[in-house]
Amino acid sequence: MSTLWKEFSKGLWHDLPPFKLVLGLCPTLAVTKTAYNGFGMGVAVIFVLAMSNMLVSMLRKVIPSKVRIACFIVVAASLVVCVELLMQAYAYPLYQQLGIFVPLIVVNCIILGRAEAFASKNPVLLSVADGLGMGIGFTLSLTFLGSLRELFGYGTWFGMHVMGSWFKPFGFMIEAPGAFVCLGVLLAGMNALTNWQRKTKGLEAVQGPVHDCKTCGMCASKPRM
Amino acid sequence: MKEMIKMVLVLSLFCGLSGLTLASVRQATSERIEEQVMTYVQGPALSQIFSGYDNNPVKDRKTFDLPDGPVTVFPAMKDGKLMGVALETFGKGYGGPVGIMVGFNTDGSELTGIGTTTLKETPGLGMRLVEPEYRDQFKGHTTKTVALTKNGGDIAAIAGATISSTGSVAAVNQAIEIFQQIKDRIHKTWTS
Repeated sequence: MSTLWKEFSKGLWHDLPPFKLVLGLCPTLAVTKTAYNGFGMGVAVIFVLAMSNMLVSMLRKVIPSKVRIACFIVVAASLVVCVELLMQAYAYPLYQQLGIFVPLIVVNCIILGRAEAFASKNPVLLSVADGLGMGIGFTLSLTFLGSLRELFGYGTWFGMHVMGSWFKPFGFMIEAPGAFVCLGVLLAGMNALTNWQRKTKGLEAVQGPVHDCKTCGMCASKPRM
Repeated sequence: MKEMIKMVLVLSLFCGLSGLTLASVRQATSERIEEQVMTYVQGPALSQIFSGYDNNPVKDRKTFDLPDGPVTVFPAMKDGKLMGVALETFGKGYGGPVGIMVGFNTDGSELTGIGTTTLKETPGLGMRLVEPEYRDQFKGHTTKTVALTKNGGDIAAIAGATISSTGSVAAVNQAIEIFQQIKDRIHKTWTS
């Protein structure tokens, strides 16, 4: 149980996909104009990530190592098309907003990264926990970034007016550069927080990226023979 | 050799299973997706064309067969009587087809207006097709001749978006032609 919780919770803070691993930036920057869009994207990713981790883990003994990447892609792509169809059928306005970024979940490095680095080496239950944790972390990050941008860009939150009439929308925030600036400030904030935490524990501050590469596993991975 | 056969076999099996799954999901959702597309793409265009109707034109739509293929007609009714019909046609735009919903009064002598459905035009130029300033020129326009001013008509094109404007006018003319062909069938289907 404790390992299960560990694998689940690491995606929520320690390995938070967009902010700590800095993975999956394409949807993070592109669809977070509003909190609702970010949330919708995140839910689609949770589904795909948990299911792909589950399937890859179930099939990890069957998949020959030389064609494993192709197999992972087939699994992820099928799931994404399922999500796309379901979204069209049950949440069409959301689909109109997210547009091309729904099919692009396939090439989101988180999906392939988790399949390769975790699900292909671990049992089913742990892999699902890992996928759910990462997915929920991703959703929370996107919703948070979307909330910030929506709040300053439109003066609303999930479509509700929260700013008074004195508020003049800051249009820059909902444009593409606003996404970069917002993300940059968030990353800087998270690094500062990490270093402050380390300082209180008497450790030295970290320079450069605060995450380690092994959580992604894409470039470090060697073919399993 | 054995490893190679296994690789081929596993990958083919995966692809086959994935194809099967996707085909069944698609089959299961296709009807609902069509309904949703109609409601969210065609629906808003219809409300730009007609006002004061009390039915759901998307739900009451009917498809007529023509030599060039089927045409879907959306009726707008009030108290069970036909107010007008609309049909969607496509013209050639700058960034892909320009989808225009064209509304007619019951005898087809006048346009009740046009609405846009699918557009991939340049923002700020061709996209201005959606603005009332352009669309309202078609409201109450006769169906005899619809043309841009440069071709001797009275529709002012959007500055800087000649292709999009031409495409939308072509779509309107195509709709007028289709309407003339199915006029009798429309009157047989809905009473006005």
